[in-house]
Amino acid sequence: MPPADVNALYLQLRKRLIESGEWEQIRAVMFAKLNESGWCDDVRHKSKEAARGMEPLAFDRLLADITPRAASTSIPLAVKREVSTVIRQHLEKQFE
Amino acid sequence: MANEPLFCPHLVSVLADKTLGDVITKKYKSVVAWNAYRSLQVNRQNKRRKIAAPTCGTCDTPLSRPMACLQCPYAGCWQGGHSVQHLTQHGHSFCADTKTGYLFCSECDDFIYDPKLDSMHLEAIVSADAKQAKFLLPKKPREYYKPWVPNSQEATVLEGAEAISCQRRRGLLNLGQTCFLNVVLQCFVHNPLLRNFFLSDKHNHRQCKLENCTSCEMDKLFSEIYSEDPKPYGPITFLVATWKASPELSGHAQQDAHEFFISALNQIHLTSRGSTNVSCNCIIHSTFAGQLQSDVKCERCGNVTSTVDPMLDISLELRGKGGEAVPVENTLGACLRRFTQPEKLSPKEYSCGKCGKAAHEASKRLSIRKLPPVLSFQFKRFEHKTNNKSAARKIDTPIRFPASINMAPYTSLTVKDSGKDLSSPTHPYPGPESMYEYDLFGVINHEGQIDTGHYTNFARFQDEWYRFDDDKVTPANLNACLSSAAYMCFYVKRHLDYKPNSTPSYVLTRENEALREKEMEKEKEAARMKEVEDDLLSMV
Repeated sequence: MPPADVNALYLQLRKRLIESGEWEQIRAVMFAKLNESGWCDDVRHKSKEAARGMEPLAFDRLLADITPRAASTSIPLAVKREVSTVIRQHLEKQFE
Repeated sequence: MANEPLFCPHLVSVLADKTLGDVITKKYKSVVAWNAYRSLQVNRQNKRRKIAAPTCGTCDTPLSRPMACLQCPYAGCWQGGHSVQHLTQHGHSFCADTKTGYLFCSECDDFIYDPKLDSMHLEAIVSADAKQAKFLLPKKPREYYKPWVPNSQEATVLEGAEAISCQRRRGLLNLGQTCFLNVVLQCFVHNPLLRNFFLSDKHNHRQCKLENCTSCEMDKLFSEIYSEDPKPYGPITFLVATWKASPELSGHAQQDAHEFFISALNQIHLTSRGSTNVSCNCIIHSTFAGQLQSDVKCERCGNVTSTVDPMLDISLELRGKGGEAVPVENTLGACLRRFTQPEKLSPKEYSCGKCGKAAHEASKRLSIRKLPPVLSFQFKRFEHKTNNKSAARKIDTPIRFPASINMAPYTSLTVKDSGKDLSSPTHPYPGPESMYEYDLFGVINHEGQIDTGHYTNFARFQDEWYRFDDDKVTPANLNACLSSAAYMCFYVKRHLDYKPNSTPSYVLTRENEALREKEMEKEKEAARMKEVEDDLLSMV
């Protein structure tokens, strides 16, 4: 499928998922799992400590500092797998 | 650095201008409210109504979390710098993240902080949530949040008053194996509802006439903590009052902190003015009291019998019924799921009222029917094999607990329907999520074995964590707190829900009494004056 069409399909799916509330539901499931795994608190702690020593303090500097440390490296594999499954289930419903 | 302004000067000048300030404030509040209403829509899941999916003014992507410009209808992505680009291109100054309310200033080129923003945000959120409130009594609407503004009387009083910080930490001396007392007291001191109650002079120990009053001890404790004395304080009178009230806690051996916690709650309740045995609204019950619901279901006929019991805290088992080891998930969430899972009852324990036969298959399920403003959890680490304390063992397995927890999955409404399709229109709307969000503020740790161990604790003030080891108080951080092996955890609800306003009966009684006393004083005075006059006359 040509990239332009893939993009159009993505935008359409995204719109449908937001309008039906599923997007927010998936986000809530992901957040609950990330919170229970301790990932959210880990990022919160790292950000706080990074901000404490940062002079001058600026959002984009903080984001640049935290993103590589927090992003894909520390998300527990189990959470990634479970959330991917939930997303897949919702997407499959869209194509029924 | 001394010359750097504390707040964003651009926002400050905009808010100072009456017309411009009003426009910005109004737009900001409506943006925040828009998101609050949208989240409620997601909860309600009405399949016929679509939830708004505004598209980015720059790239047309449907937005789940728009950044909204405060000066025009533009909404856009944060990613790719789209919304920031819009601000610079159109000369607009501010855009807000609809989800968190954080404001970006294009001239500062950063997210900014201003206390006025905080109060605007709080007002908008609480107002939106209150309008969608759940579990209301008929004809008794919820009290709407109004930021407090002093009236003229109060303003006069405030003018003459000296403001002290509401932040104060003081170590507590160990009076001989009393670390169990110190950790509980520190968690009381850092409990926002208890702190506000006692700092508001609601139980003044100089006026109270009760003997051996634990509420007076609390008042004295707060006075000491908030005094200017930097030396650690020895809570001797508190300890003595405790011994007198609960002799089983006396003696010089180590006591269990949880046992003391429950005993102290009870003592404060009993010595509170206007406390009652049923539906008490003393400070302890207002703060800690919740309700647990127990549903027993007959597997044969499906009949469910529910009982409701009061609770002041939740004790969580770390072992399964058969004594098996803690399962892989050592988290507070897992403990709560175990707490609310259906449990098979043995035939001896139950006989169905409906189908009338004994020895049936039945299951029992616990859930939280009413969530208190402060949630206290105890992890049952000490298993007593017999009544002999020295034969008990300690379960040291660390349990991971979060800084914030959503309690909705463990409430009666949700537990009842688990397994069913949550998007069906018959599924009851649980209310705004903010009703269920709790933030950790205190943790009690125990190290060592049962009789030879030591208690320490962590407590939070606003955004900073501190570690308390009797008289030693040190700055700490979230990670240190969360990595510690918790014995007890204290969470406070993020937003309080207010019931309809009503003056407590004991306040009305007190006001009537005060009026009567005044009358009696007047009469006494009049009688005295008459005596003096009579004396004077007799001398003539």
